[in-house]
Amino acid sequence: MTVASRRQSLPKLADPSAPLLVVEDLKTHFSLGAETVHAVDGISFTLNHGEALGIAGESGCGKTTTALSLIRLLPSNASIVDGSVRLYGIDLVTKSANALRRYRWREVSIVFQGAMNALNPVHRLRDQIVEPLTERLGMSEKEARKRAGELLELVGIPKKRGGAYPHELSGGMRQRAMIAMALACDPAIVIGDEPTTALDVMIQAQILALLEDLRHKLGLSLILITHDLSVIAETCDRVLIMYAGRVAEEGTVDEVFRRPRHPYTQKLLAAFPNIRADRRTLDVIPGSPPDLRHPPPGCRFAPRCPFAMEVCTEVVPPEVTFGQVRVACHLYPPGSDGVQVTTAPPNAIGATVPLVEPPPAEPPLEVAGG
Amino acid sequence: MAGQVALARPGGARRFVGAGSLLRAVLRRPEGLIGVIILTFFALLAIAPELFVGPLQTAVTAKGPRLSPPIEGFPLGTDHLRRDMINLTVHGARVSMVIGLLATVITVLVGAVVGIVSGFAGGRLDGFLMRITDFFLVIPTFVLALILTPILRDLVGSGSREVFGIRMTLVVIVVVIGITSWSSTARIIRSQTLSLKERAFVDRARVIGAGGGHIMRRHILPNVINLIVANAVIVFAGAVLTETFLSFVGLGDPLQPSWGQLLESARAIGAPGLGAWWYFVPPSACIVLVVLAFTLVGSALDDQLNPKRRERR
Amino acid sequence: MSYLARRLGSALLTIAMIVIINFILFRAMPGSPERVILRGTPNVTTAQLNAARERWGLNDPIFPDQFGAFVVATVRGDLGYSFVARGQTVGQVIGQRIWPTVILFGLGEIIAIAAGLALGAISGWRRGGIIDQVGNGISLVLYSTPYFIIGMALLLIFGPGLGWFPTFGMLEAGARYTDILDRLGDFLAHLALPLTTVALGLIGQYAIVMRSSIIETLSEDYVTTARAMGLRDGRILRRHALPNALLPTVTLIAINLGYIVAGAITVEVVFNWPGLGTLAVEALEARDYPVLQGVFLVLGVSVVLANLVADLIYGVLDPRVRS
Repeated sequence: MTVASRRQSLPKLADPSAPLLVVEDLKTHFSLGAETVHAVDGISFTLNHGEALGIAGESGCGKTTTALSLIRLLPSNASIVDGSVRLYGIDLVTKSANALRRYRWREVSIVFQGAMNALNPVHRLRDQIVEPLTERLGMSEKEARKRAGELLELVGIPKKRGGAYPHELSGGMRQRAMIAMALACDPAIVIGDEPTTALDVMIQAQILALLEDLRHKLGLSLILITHDLSVIAETCDRVLIMYAGRVAEEGTVDEVFRRPRHPYTQKLLAAFPNIRADRRTLDVIPGSPPDLRHPPPGCRFAPRCPFAMEVCTEVVPPEVTFGQVRVACHLYPPGSDGVQVTTAPPNAIGATVPLVEPPPAEPPLEVAGG
Repeated sequence: MAGQVALARPGGARRFVGAGSLLRAVLRRPEGLIGVIILTFFALLAIAPELFVGPLQTAVTAKGPRLSPPIEGFPLGTDHLRRDMINLTVHGARVSMVIGLLATVITVLVGAVVGIVSGFAGGRLDGFLMRITDFFLVIPTFVLALILTPILRDLVGSGSREVFGIRMTLVVIVVVIGITSWSSTARIIRSQTLSLKERAFVDRARVIGAGGGHIMRRHILPNVINLIVANAVIVFAGAVLTETFLSFVGLGDPLQPSWGQLLESARAIGAPGLGAWWYFVPPSACIVLVVLAFTLVGSALDDQLNPKRRERR
Repeated sequence: MSYLARRLGSALLTIAMIVIINFILFRAMPGSPERVILRGTPNVTTAQLNAARERWGLNDPIFPDQFGAFVVATVRGDLGYSFVARGQTVGQVIGQRIWPTVILFGLGEIIAIAAGLALGAISGWRRGGIIDQVGNGISLVLYSTPYFIIGMALLLIFGPGLGWFPTFGMLEAGARYTDILDRLGDFLAHLALPLTTVALGLIGQYAIVMRSSIIETLSEDYVTTARAMGLRDGRILRRHALPNALLPTVTLIAINLGYIVAGAITVEVVFNWPGLGTLAVEALEARDYPVLQGVFLVLGVSVVLANLVADLIYGVLDPRVRS
């Protein structure tokens, strides 16, 4: 695939030979009163120019926190405690808040879930796209309006709808508008945080197609955060599977989805119904994710892992690379051949947590005691 | 399981919140604890003031010097009728709090009934009741109270009949406050009733043939009780304030002075101008403390019953 | 457009209800109305009584004749005659006393809205900061304190004690002024304490409401987006947080208007400010019902109109209600 080059020039301190984005051992913790939540505990990955990386995992696994940490968009009780985020070789973690502002939106922008309030309800669409153009790029009002119109057309919104307010648009249109906003400063990376989750399937497909199209046209790199593996399968080149704040497995979509190595990845893929497969019951992963205030020692997936061994409950599994794939699992220790393991090893102790009944959807209301 | 009620909140989770656990939840928060302590203190004073300071002093029985600052034997000074300020203030607690309590009962009763009936019935009745409710919300009810009070007093006639230990002149104030303050309660209760009405269990009751009154009593009412209690706290504060205002403009009863009435007397003799701070600081401090206490308890209750406020992303 | 029409209709309906209540109250006066009207006149003969009845139209059927006459008279601005100020119409009496109230409370509201909203916004923006904690505490105490108590406290401190400001009325009684500036100076000196009282009383409420409104707004997604855009804090507060935070604040200010009348009246009483508040209390003491009803009408209509203005402002601020 051909990747167009970006219109904008690189930032001053950039190293043109460095990969686009290198995240190394990133740790972000939240403080809740006296306790600390280890939301992201040692994430590493690389994003290359023009690439689309999907970050997948259950709710609460830290994927959104990871994304927000890249541009330090964290709430006041959260902080990056370790690691580095190098954009063109420039470490963003060490930058002051003011210095970091330079990179926001102009190098990395973000598209949130298109719920009603992701767009400011009291400003017109057009004005919300004009804002980054005038404020960050220093364009004149006139130039900015023109460019805003172009951006709207680019994402498939007719220019004259620019005068509308967010509540006058459908969910799909709002999402397109947010993508237009995200593209305003011609960023290198666009992060999509569950960008299609709130949309129905047909619109979802349109938005994904749009993102793909833009990626090729503009030379964008994408980080897509979602719990929906099918979205990643369709749009991304590489995927990173997160569990409880750590990397479980990472590699090309092709390799990871066809030969999942980490037991969690296997379970995740098995949990997705396949419309073409034989009818069978859905696999359920017993237990629930660990409490990140007191994460278990060793591998965090061990309590729920059917292949867990003694060592899994004591030692944190090291990340090992086999060709296109990186896994953190004791089934694939350093030096092994990295062949996919699909049955429990002989010394497995298995999952130690019971199957948990999901809570009832709507508790009945009644007056107890009479 | 007596006293245990399942609380329905719009949006879902079911919680068992009985009166006891509600109180405990309030006490667990620092502002709730402070508020309850202050209110308990004043409640004790209000229930049996004679225990603390003896009977209410009158111009005849007063023994102190005239309008004296705090001195030996009179730690808070005396008023222009030579009465001890502590005596007056403690008895004032009884009058202010009893009026506040009675007015709250009327206000909450009327407001809850209107709210439940209006929310449940819907349609034209709802529209009509809400028009009236909105009217009372908009207009300056204080001026209405100013007009109503002398009219009702003349109707009731003079005399020293007492109800719940307060004179008829002040009972009129209770009624007037009740008449003018019920509307915000009605709005709040109606809101809750509306969302409860949509709940499945009401449909279930209808299907088995339960009548409207039955549904309102046995299904809706228990689920709004907690809201009514929380609202009653705010209403109580408002009632005490309204009585204070009404007394201050001359509608109080000098024979049974509330805090507001004491302040009116203070103003009438020009106490602030004379520098006689001891005449109006004690009743003022009490009013501020009581209203502050209600606000704190109300805030603690609100935090407890409204989970959205507690969750900060 | 229909939003505007609906609000206007609602306002007119409320004013109509005020007029109706006034009429009912007039009829509900203790003793027959004519006796109360003629009160103070010694040795009333039956002829005089009947003449009064005729003049006041009390022999006509209550509805629609008396009611109709009442409504027509009210709309025309004829609110009857004061019982106390012999010969003066209620309209004249009120007219003399309305401007002091408008000045005192108009200025007080403006100051309180500006200062309260600013204080609340800063408190909410830097939640937990020193301004927030101190400001919040002060606001809470002010909110719990009736205005007239604030007034009396100020009176005590600044009046005869320090002697900085006069404490009684609007102008020195019997004073002779050299020119308009001299008169203005005296007026402002008298205005100082009551104005401070009103402003302090209101600031607490507005600060508290604005603060919680801003805190709610700051957790919304569009603010996160604005931060992600790298916009400056000041701009985010001004263009994104404030316009949205103002919405519930405007609503609450409007709802509040009916309640602050009580405070308004009592503050005037404390400082003997010659406005509608002291007029109402004087009329109350003298049982001057026509004036009382006139004040009720004027204050009621003012509050309704103020609410209408607030609704209009809300419509301008929030495009969602316009559709």
